[in-house]
Amino acid sequence: MGRERPRMATGALISFTLNILCAVVALLTSYYAYKVNRLVGNQVIGAISLGFMLLGVGLAVDASTTLFSGRTLVQFSSRVLVQFASFTYLTVQMVAYLVIAIGYARAVYGSQQRPVAPAVIVTAAAVGLYRFSLLSYFVVLILLAFVVFQGLLIRSGQNTKFSAMVLLAFGLILIAHVVLLASVLTLGPVLFLIGTGIQFLGFLSLLIFVVRSEVVGPK
Amino acid sequence: MAQSEKQRSVLRINLDILNAVRDEGDAKPTHILYKANLSHERLVKYLDDLMAKGLIEVKQDGENRTYNLTTKGVSFLIEMRRAESFVQGFGLAI
Repeated sequence: MGRERPRMATGALISFTLNILCAVVALLTSYYAYKVNRLVGNQVIGAISLGFMLLGVGLAVDASTTLFSGRTLVQFSSRVLVQFASFTYLTVQMVAYLVIAIGYARAVYGSQQRPVAPAVIVTAAAVGLYRFSLLSYFVVLILLAFVVFQGLLIRSGQNTKFSAMVLLAFGLILIAHVVLLASVLTLGPVLFLIGTGIQFLGFLSLLIFVVRSEVVGPK
Repeated sequence: MAQSEKQRSVLRINLDILNAVRDEGDAKPTHILYKANLSHERLVKYLDDLMAKGLIEVKQDGENRTYNLTTKGVSFLIEMRRAESFVQGFGLAI
């Protein structure tokens, strides 16, 4: 029992650090997308900017929750707060990936796509946090799989190193969510940390893409 | 190579013109017209627009007219190049 608490605190600290870094990258990507959207006025880039902003905020909330819950889970008031924060993060994450998925769908098929996931989110709000975690990871998994599939379609027509970097980022985030879903199913803290680590690698790939696209000068 | 005129956005056409002016330096209208794949009538309209925005300047030497990028035009092209790289990452085009 005495060894359990420090291990939990270390895990929470690692998870906090990785999630905060992911949040910073997501917010940076959102900012660049916003800047680019002001120049080119593209709805898809606007959706991507909004999606990454939500994701960044969600990841920051999740990071804070992880750190907080790792230390103060014993108190009832804290537990309620943590549950509320987790619920907020999971909802925001679903909406964020939904917005990005719609953006990608518009890029490939035009603007006829109709979102169906908000109904799923509203239904999800009626169930408990654990079931909601499962459901949200599952929904996010489907949305990410869709985004990666669209990315592959786009890449088959436009073979650039930039689209490869974005595809790699979303691919890693998809794998991360498979692992995170497994961690929710098995309640495995090690799997959770591995999932968070893979997600971090995905955001790292995204960071490299943002930095590279920013430093590319004129031909 | 510029895309066909039908598919291009106004922004894309402006970029093709600016790239043509930058590549040539003291660019003649015939050269820009060829590089940007535009009719003479449309080229004049776009050039006037770009001059009004302060992105290009015209130099009149007797009968000859040549175009150059302004400092603002050079900065705009650099910004657009970065934006294009970002947009390409998400499978889009300007």
